[in-house]
Amino acid sequence: MVELLYQPSLRSKLGVLLASARMRLITISRYRGQLALDLVMPIVFAAMPILLGRATGGAAAADNFLRNTGTANYVAYMLIGSSAFTIVTYAFWHTGYWVRWEQETGTLEAIYLAPTNKLWLVAGVALYSMLRSLISATAAYLIGSAIFHVNPFQGELLIAVAFVVSGLVPLLGVSFLFGALILKLKQANALVNLMQWGVTLLMGVFFPVAVFPPMARVLAWLFPPTWMVNGVRSALLGVGFFFGRWYRDMAVLWAFMLIAPLLGAWVFARVERNIRRNAGMGEY
Amino acid sequence: METEIRLSHLSKTYSPRQRKGLFKSEVRTVQALKDVSLEIHPGEIFGLLGPNGAGKTTLIKCLTTLLLPSAGDAWVHGYHIVKEENLVRSSVGCMLMGERGLYWKLTGIENLEFFAALYHIPPADRRRRAREIINLLELQDLADRTVETYSSGQKMKLAFGKALINDAPVLILDEPTNTLDVPSARELRAVVRQLNGQGKTVLYTTHIMSEAETLCDRVAIIDQGEVIAMDTVEELKASMGREQVTQVEGVISSQASQAVEALPGVSRVAISAVNGTTRLTVVAENTRALLPRLIETLTAHEAVVQHIAPQEVTLEDVFVAKTGRTLAQDTRVIGHG
Repeated sequence: MVELLYQPSLRSKLGVLLASARMRLITISRYRGQLALDLVMPIVFAAMPILLGRATGGAAAADNFLRNTGTANYVAYMLIGSSAFTIVTYAFWHTGYWVRWEQETGTLEAIYLAPTNKLWLVAGVALYSMLRSLISATAAYLIGSAIFHVNPFQGELLIAVAFVVSGLVPLLGVSFLFGALILKLKQANALVNLMQWGVTLLMGVFFPVAVFPPMARVLAWLFPPTWMVNGVRSALLGVGFFFGRWYRDMAVLWAFMLIAPLLGAWVFARVERNIRRNAGMGEY
Repeated sequence: METEIRLSHLSKTYSPRQRKGLFKSEVRTVQALKDVSLEIHPGEIFGLLGPNGAGKTTLIKCLTTLLLPSAGDAWVHGYHIVKEENLVRSSVGCMLMGERGLYWKLTGIENLEFFAALYHIPPADRRRRAREIINLLELQDLADRTVETYSSGQKMKLAFGKALINDAPVLILDEPTNTLDVPSARELRAVVRQLNGQGKTVLYTTHIMSEAETLCDRVAIIDQGEVIAMDTVEELKASMGREQVTQVEGVISSQASQAVEALPGVSRVAISAVNGTTRLTVVAENTRALLPRLIETLTAHEAVVQHIAPQEVTLEDVFVAKTGRTLAQDTRVIGHG
């Protein structure tokens, strides 16, 4: 028997992850207009409720908002919400949609021929998505703050960053679950669109989770990005952590960090095996 | 004898949903592979022949771990396709879906480097290996252009190059000369021979009989999920025994075809459409003796014969003799002899 030339190692698996992220970055660099739109989207998304607030609330808008949310700075509140939403929606579009993208380009079977656990590839896509969305969300937050005259560097900045970073990992797990759903249903657009609105509601992009009916509030608490966005708002604007102290909310996010990726990876692997048992990966 | 690829009673059953209108559907069972057993030896070029839908691609997808078999076992390079799937994938270089297996927004070299990473090739070796392949396939002028700017044939060549990236001992090539022009197809076959000369085992599927005849050491003919014949090209042709083949082209009705089939000495008749005319492939024991009666029968049934000639036996004739059909896509069965 001829010896195989290349054996997988942890280093080569990390190489797969980096190659996957690099490949996406190269691809998006060839669509330059898309990168410009990345910056505009969160600002436009936040501008609508901000301007609506000014139009309908008038001078009392800030006071009303303070009574419901714990901060009068509704402009920064919306900007943080829409920037966090950018991170979440990119995770769905890039990581969850990854399977569908590969199916549509016809490369899914080609990568399934390779001796690589697909989770390394998806992790590469997630890394790309996180880089792109973090840059885009941060830039949009800064530009939006300049446009609407708010101070972007108020409050506990480091704690806010910690909440964003800790929120990214469970988000990856939720994206795996979403990817498995797309792999099973073989339809993505309607699902992503629906999810986007669901996510906007659940994570409280424009309003606090506290105003939800009880059942919806429980659902929102089961969704990791809700904790991420509330953590950032509490750190920067002082709206109040769910469990009073920042480290208690952070502990919940860390629990999600352990559970969500494992659950997502397990479901993804099961769906993948089920598909290989029947029609195969290339069929869509 | 040592085997590089071994299939033992391999079967694959699908359960696709058949649409019965806008909202109605029913699950149907399709047996794509039926109890297939075969062995391919190290250093062999093994051809897998059959019409579209015969089960060739299903067999290849099982061997390359894209599909799980419903029953039976198979080993590639000594590794079991279900229990050792990653070792199987490392042992195989595969060209399966042609030009669609490439990233069109990346350049040729970026594509090869990306796939090199998926096969765990160290970063330092990726570019070197990609350049080797670019040079082997004479794609130097295209290497730094995005794939979207390639012609269909150039994309096929690069897809073939992708199959070589991990320098695997086994090459599985599914219709690799599809969409290539004649000189490019010849060049690609020459590269396959060259790689085979370096010790690689090649499993090559095609529906082009002449390609299999010139390239393959042994051939398996597959039809409706079953291997119906397997041997060297010479032995397969010799298996026709005293049977010979006559091809008739023209305007020929189905009644005329059936009348030909009923002639004494005719064992099988296959009908296909070629360039707007009908072609009958007639398998019979003594073609020369049959010829006058054949013409007489066709004329009696108002057929307009444009061309009639006895043929050298080809692999396609072997297929016709075994199944009563040609390999062309639009064939239909009219006789079972």
